[in-house]
Amino acid sequence: MNILEIRGLHKDFGGLRALNDLSLTIEPGQIFGLIGPNGAGKSTAFNCIAGVYAPSGGEIYFNGVRINGERPWNLCKRGLARTFQIVKPFATKSVLYNVMVGAFARTNSRSEAERKALEVLEYLHFEKHRNSRAGNLTIADRKRLEIARALATEPQLLLLDEVMAGLRPSEVDEMVGVIQQLRGRGITIFVIEHIMRAIMALSDHVVVLHFGQKIAEGAPHQVASDERVIKAYLGDEYVISAG
Amino acid sequence: MTRRSINQSACLLVAVLALGLPLVMRSATYLHILILLYFYAYLTTSWNLVGGFAGVLPLGHAAFVGIGAYTSTILYLQYGVSPWLGMLVGGILATLVGILIGLPTFKMRGAYFALATIAFAEGIRVMIENIDRLGPFVINGPRGLQIPPLKLGLSNFMFAVKEPYYYIILIMLAAVLLLTYCISRSKLGYYLNAGGEEPEAAMALGVNVARAKLIAMAMSSFLTALAGTFYAQFTLYIHPKSVVSLDLSFEIAFIALIGGRGSIAGPVLGALLLRPVSDFSRIYFGDTVPGLHLIIFGVVLILVMLYQPRGLQEPLTRLYNRLVDRLAGTEGGEASA
Ligand SMILES: Nc1ncnc2c1ncn2[C@@H]1O[C@H](COP(=O)(O)OP(=O)(O)OP(=O)(O)O)[C@@H](O)[C@H]1O
Ligand SMILES: [Mg+2]
Repeated sequence: MNILEIRGLHKDFGGLRALNDLSLTIEPGQIFGLIGPNGAGKSTAFNCIAGVYAPSGGEIYFNGVRINGERPWNLCKRGLARTFQIVKPFATKSVLYNVMVGAFARTNSRSEAERKALEVLEYLHFEKHRNSRAGNLTIADRKRLEIARALATEPQLLLLDEVMAGLRPSEVDEMVGVIQQLRGRGITIFVIEHIMRAIMALSDHVVVLHFGQKIAEGAPHQVASDERVIKAYLGDEYVISAG
Repeated sequence: MTRRSINQSACLLVAVLALGLPLVMRSATYLHILILLYFYAYLTTSWNLVGGFAGVLPLGHAAFVGIGAYTSTILYLQYGVSPWLGMLVGGILATLVGILIGLPTFKMRGAYFALATIAFAEGIRVMIENIDRLGPFVINGPRGLQIPPLKLGLSNFMFAVKEPYYYIILIMLAAVLLLTYCISRSKLGYYLNAGGEEPEAAMALGVNVARAKLIAMAMSSFLTALAGTFYAQFTLYIHPKSVVSLDLSFEIAFIALIGGRGSIAGPVLGALLLRPVSDFSRIYFGDTVPGLHLIIFGVVLILVMLYQPRGLQEPLTRLYNRLVDRLAGTEGGEASA
């Protein structure tokens, strides 16, 4: 069974159609990439899947169950976790506290949540920051915190929204490694990313969005050489003068 | 000494001091002031469950004080029900009202929530002030209700001296502080804090934010109403201006904000600092400048918000920790991180 299936998804904001007839399927164990220029509708797609926005049309199935309009916290309980492009740490709390909030999704016991959170922090080589105030972290560490919290909820499917934006090249490589490891743990990953190097290295399959519409889909190298994709990123002039 | 044993000794010291105070302090006036201080610390700690942990600013908690006070008093005066039982009934009634207020208002943000709670509490006050009877219940409008001090004793929650009241409110305060401590370390506490700080992130992590806030509101209104009954039995006279006034709602919020909302010590520290100001300004300037204490609170609030936005508990906690470190250090305890 597909872990995520989207059919004909629409999302309108007033007069603006942010998503137009988007369909895609993700199989368990995949790292699935979603790319596209700024404002293409990538985050909007995540927000529809994660229950933040109700879709204006179309169907979303998670593990074969229709989840249109399901609330975010219930989706989390079902095994769907996400990070935010604009990070949202519980800034006045410690890193450990932040991650424990996620861990409480699977337990009512504080000691169990703490054990789980420490395990996640160790896994992400983040345990030395456990007592740091989340608001004082560097941007790279905040992105890592987003992942740590989401992981603590024990997801089957993890949506990562630009977790590498703003990172230094060495940090990007490290993050690519982390994401590959997560797949090794059996977590399916749906990732939005602008850094092409990372998306090429990571994804099994890529979908390209442009003005809310899917314009290409396939293996990373296939998509990268697609003329429509190059046009979308660089504008018509480039293709005309190049051709 | 280890840090742990120092903390335990400090707690013990405070407990002994609080328990022993009435034995050394024989002045009824000072005892009265202390009882009200604990009463406000209790109210603010109850308020803090919503106003502190859940990150909203309720400004109508006097409504719950009023519900508690009026419920137990009416039940006692008209039906002879023991105020202890009436206290429980008032608490349950306030819980229902609290949930009813919370359902529509917790979706509002910031000032809108605060305004909605003010409007609601004022609605209740105006209602009480303007009706003499509600069905079979005598409310007496603005004149209020008087409890004749005829049947003294524990079962009637009525005493000729102040000491019993002192110990009752002290126990209530200790209980609500313990409850707050337990909640802050529980899943509910984590969920309230998370939902208050970043609701969207909290929801994505499995937190039903609105539900957590409603639970907090239910507990907060229940506990607040219990204090209403205490106040009625302590003063034996309640009227809308004393138990459902906007002043009362504001004073609770002032104490919390100045002491430090969202912390366990904040409400107690706030009450310790502000209650004396309130009492003495009323004693010395009550006739010439009524309401002076609220003006002083306002000025203090502005200063605190400018220089210590997380309340006075923060610098005081830091000071206390440094003191403990010093003590633990000289005795060969481990150095602080
Ligand atoms: N809540 C909203 N209300 C109105 N318009 C919105 C809202 N969220 C997104 N949009 C609009 O929808 C379009 C798609 O936005 P979205 O954030 O999904 O883009 P994106 O592909 O994630 O872009 P980026 O790469 O910059 O993150 C944009 O035009 C944006 O302005
Ligand atoms: Mg985006």
